[in-house]
Amino acid sequence: MKSTRATQEPVWVRYTLLTIGLSFLFFFLGLPLLAVFVEALAQGVPVYIEALKEPETASAIWLTVGIALAVLPFNIVFGVAAAWAIAKFEFKGKSLLITLIDLPFAVSPVVAGLIFILLFGSQGTFGEWLSEHDIKIIFAVPGMILATLFITFPFIARELIPLMQAQGKDEEEAAVSLGASGWQMFIRVTLPNIKWGLLYGVILSNARAMGEFGAVSVVSGHIRGETNTLPLHVEILYNEYNAIGAFAAASILALLALVTLVAKTIVEWRMKKETEMLNTVLAPEKT
Amino acid sequence: MSIEIRNISKRFGNFVALDNINLDIPTGELVALLGPSGCGKTTLLRIIAGMESADGGEVLFSGEDATHLHAREREVGFVFQHYALFRHMTVFENVAFGLRVKPRKERPSDAEIKRRVMELLSLVQLDWLADRYPSQLSGGQRQRIALARALAVEPKVLLLDEPFGALDTKVRKELRRWLRRLHDDMHISSVFVTHDQEEALEVADRVVVMNHGRIEQIGSPDEVYSSPASPFVYQFLGNVNVFHSRQQGAYAEVERGEVAEKATAFVRPHDIDITHQPSEDGLQAKVQHVHPIGPVVRIELLHGSEIIEVELSRERHELLQLTVGQAVWFRPRQMRVFGTDTSLRSTPEKQAFLF
Repeated sequence: MKSTRATQEPVWVRYTLLTIGLSFLFFFLGLPLLAVFVEALAQGVPVYIEALKEPETASAIWLTVGIALAVLPFNIVFGVAAAWAIAKFEFKGKSLLITLIDLPFAVSPVVAGLIFILLFGSQGTFGEWLSEHDIKIIFAVPGMILATLFITFPFIARELIPLMQAQGKDEEEAAVSLGASGWQMFIRVTLPNIKWGLLYGVILSNARAMGEFGAVSVVSGHIRGETNTLPLHVEILYNEYNAIGAFAAASILALLALVTLVAKTIVEWRMKKETEMLNTVLAPEKT
Repeated sequence: MSIEIRNISKRFGNFVALDNINLDIPTGELVALLGPSGCGKTTLLRIIAGMESADGGEVLFSGEDATHLHAREREVGFVFQHYALFRHMTVFENVAFGLRVKPRKERPSDAEIKRRVMELLSLVQLDWLADRYPSQLSGGQRQRIALARALAVEPKVLLLDEPFGALDTKVRKELRRWLRRLHDDMHISSVFVTHDQEEALEVADRVVVMNHGRIEQIGSPDEVYSSPASPFVYQFLGNVNVFHSRQQGAYAEVERGEVAEKATAFVRPHDIDITHQPSEDGLQAKVQHVHPIGPVVRIELLHGSEIIEVELSRERHELLQLTVGQAVWFRPRQMRVFGTDTSLRSTPEKQAFLF
């Protein structure tokens, strides 16, 4: 079809750009992903399944999922609370809080891990007190949860702040003037309005929690079967020249990523639909 | 329920939003807070509702101190400028909200809630929209639902923040009349904020004119329009011709330039007579423009370098047959004179200009 629109580029330009874009995607995203699965399945499905059944791999999978689940409620509570405070109230130090929320994005994950070593390690600030009371944080699961928490907490707040700012506080004020308590207002008015944004933030922070390497690596101590998450386990297996094991574990991470992508797309589509619904052009008044 | 406002003040940083406001709103009255944007009228309304706290002063409901009462305990219905309907709830659920969040002991049964909500929806003539979502309604419909929602909890006071501000002229006029009827049927006190003088004069029992965080005048619509208490009220309510003048005995001398005791005379465009014959207490001017606008004809007269606006009825204009460039004489029938300190001077008895 020949187009006569003045703003349209010539056909060859469009196809060249498309080819460049698609081949870039293929070589840098598609091919590596494919390679993970090809390598993992190089000796057939049974071997692949055996590799995953390996107790250390299985425990790494469960630890990864466990840490992600443990971090989630904290992230939700903190994210909603911070976004609420920033979007609906005026207070001193607001910009400082916004900057602090972005800190984990700016700091290298390794530094994040080191912070916890400095705080809770045996030579650290609280190290003596902790060992006296026989509490293990560093080189144990609590430390890994803390490190993951530090890395992932901005996601939900970042997602919710612009959303809540755009919605304003009229609906909340209306709810209060109608006699709703603070909790009723939150459950019946605020939460339904932010649910898709919240879910989007949850998906993003979850993906990050499961894939985190640097910060967790510093505090984990790499104790197999105990403090090894999937990303750490992949590295260990690969360093031992266990290609099938490494790629099998990696394929689980890749699958998790694909699931995240699908979930993210669905939520994005829902969010778009909601905003469209809000912006529909009104029919003229008839009555 | 009566509302008394005692010495209310509010600042936002350096900006004085309200400066020592005192106001009594008796039970059953419909009061308009009128003023330009930034005059503090919305802040005052939000303080009455308990959504904003005053820096000083008291709010009394039925003679009892309500200054520190939480918004949810004030039994106040609030209608927002942009409706603030709960977007994820149907119209029915929006109206039912106030009933559903009541403590278990006071909460009506589901059947009772349904009955009450449908009753309110038919009161606002929108019962056929119960299952729709707010996004599917027009602006006027949304505002009526917002009203029904506010009325569901049987408030003692209804507060409306620029209720018709976002609607087009025709819907606005309809809703105004409708609000007046509703107020009379419900026997409650209502306060509404507006920057539209026509709206305030048409709907309210009493108009409170505000400017720069202060009350300029409180009075019936007729009072504030025909005997404004300050130059601001004169200029804010309707068009007015301003003559810088000096008062001397029975006359207001209209003068340009420095004089010992300055005063300003205000004359409404429709309070000016135009004649073809010279008159001793009139001034001569030239017709510069003739604009017929609906029922009136607006004439612009040029007197010296000043432009004077006159509004004539169509009949009067038919009689005069004014044409551009014609020389005519004009004389104010009625005027008010204010001193430089904006205090009201006695109106000159003879109401005339002299040079």
